[in-house]
Amino acid sequence: MSGSLHDVKNDVWMRAVIVSVILLAVGGAAYGAFAVGVGSVKHNDWDAAHEDLENAELEWNTANETGTLAEQEAASDAWDEAHEADIDAHLSYLTWVTAGKTILVMMIIYAAFYGISGFYNSIQPEDDHDDHHHGDDHEEHHGSASPILMATGILLFMMGFPGFVTTCKSLLGLDYQAEMGDFTLSMIGSAILIVGIGNWWNEDLKGHHEQIATSHPFQGQDIRKAGMWIFLISEMMVFASFFSSYLRMRTGWCTEWAVDAGKCDVVDTVTASDLLRHEVGTLLPGAINTFALIISSYTIVLALKTAKDVNWEPSKNALMAKLFPTRKKTVRNYLIITLALGSLFIVLKLVEWSHLIAEGFTIDTQAGSIFYVATGAHGLHVFIGLLVMLFMIFKADVLEDGYDEHNGQGIEYFGLYWHFVDLAWVAIFPAFYLY
Amino acid sequence: MGEHKYTGPIAGIFQKMADIIGKDVYYVNFLILMFFTLFEVAAVFFETVPGTDIQITRGAVWAVLIVVGIIKGYGIAAFFMHLKGDPFIYTRTALFPVLFVALMLWGIGLSNPAGIDQLPAWCTPNWDYSYVTE
Repeated sequence: MSGSLHDVKNDVWMRAVIVSVILLAVGGAAYGAFAVGVGSVKHNDWDAAHEDLENAELEWNTANETGTLAEQEAASDAWDEAHEADIDAHLSYLTWVTAGKTILVMMIIYAAFYGISGFYNSIQPEDDHDDHHHGDDHEEHHGSASPILMATGILLFMMGFPGFVTTCKSLLGLDYQAEMGDFTLSMIGSAILIVGIGNWWNEDLKGHHEQIATSHPFQGQDIRKAGMWIFLISEMMVFASFFSSYLRMRTGWCTEWAVDAGKCDVVDTVTASDLLRHEVGTLLPGAINTFALIISSYTIVLALKTAKDVNWEPSKNALMAKLFPTRKKTVRNYLIITLALGSLFIVLKLVEWSHLIAEGFTIDTQAGSIFYVATGAHGLHVFIGLLVMLFMIFKADVLEDGYDEHNGQGIEYFGLYWHFVDLAWVAIFPAFYLY
Repeated sequence: MGEHKYTGPIAGIFQKMADIIGKDVYYVNFLILMFFTLFEVAAVFFETVPGTDIQITRGAVWAVLIVVGIIKGYGIAAFFMHLKGDPFIYTRTALFPVLFVALMLWGIGLSNPAGIDQLPAWCTPNWDYSYVTE
């Protein structure tokens, strides 16, 4: 990729650190407003609803002992209503608290990603940021250690991950035995991963010439584009394994659908779809997420289109012209919109999970296991995409000309990944939410 | 981007629609994806066709989900992922794993209607499935 930042100054990296502080403030504000503020109100409502339920239960018991049949039926109906209200109040409380906590955690991770990588680069001598070619468009690519560093970091992190989780639980005061060896391994992996990410940022911001494949079958094509497609092939196989597992299990379950079709008599498995598809309120998060991903696919296309459009002009509409004043800012703002939509996807997914778990649909059942693993793996892909997008926003902001016709391929290749994530959701949404 | 005119039986329709409304193919594709997603959700949510007594059968829902999935998949892969305008090697690359995916779905997914508690012996090396059968 070519770039136009001839000398990556320390103040550029310090901007990353400042942005991370802003992200932390946003996370804190969202947590305060949603989880603490609205969450407290909703918790009070839930307490009140629970008290109503207890009163209704008492009245029902009294009616059963001393009341007439009509009074017993009225008390039973009142209990049903109170029970419904109690569940609704609980789910409403979960919605706000989960949203607040999710935004806080996401912002902490965003801030760490930005801040640590920025700080890592800012403490390096400025000469190290600049090589002999001054990062211009004609610089040859000399190969990069970043992918190997990042892969090694992830490997070590995952090797120690189970122990890392139990150690974290132990540190939180829960009844778990700390496993410091695995925890240390994970921390070393994290450190190597951060160095890899920081290195990759540094190299990518300086820019380099696009490498072209010289042999069959991708001869003449950009190597990074071919590489991205090869990567997507492997991703297809990952998601295919989830679907084949799901199909295998699903064909053995007696679900609502199977009973309706006369395949079996008694429902033995409740799927996520059974809990979600019958009411607008429960189907809504999944449906909104589907639209959010499609819109985000379109906004990334718009970012790329704008970057490559040498004749770009601001809109004649005053509001649009204000939102998208220059080509550089337009690309950046489309990327920010994409990031916001992807973040919305994660928040709604976790809100939906919290509701499902509250209704007893947990990971320790067959249906829950495949649902959470498949949708969780997809959510993880979205989240990793959001982290990459954070860097692209940073790059779009700090490069002199932002993304343009010379370096827009970065958006194109990332777009391929993002569209693939959208494509996977096209299959996951009907399979797990609708059917 | 946007300058390329798409041809072909399906992509040509997208291009024609884009020409009619005076926008690019990406915009048309976006609208089509949004419409079909709405259609997909509605097909599952409603038990009868709204405003009528016509029952939406299980077969109809299946058909809608599969057809809409194909349309949406085509729209994303062909236009958003540029397979339609890019050299054919990328389409070949994208289609390469389809055989393996089909084998997995058919060979594993549909091979045992009884579910994971009755996997063939070679696939269950002394695993205890009591946790799923209880």
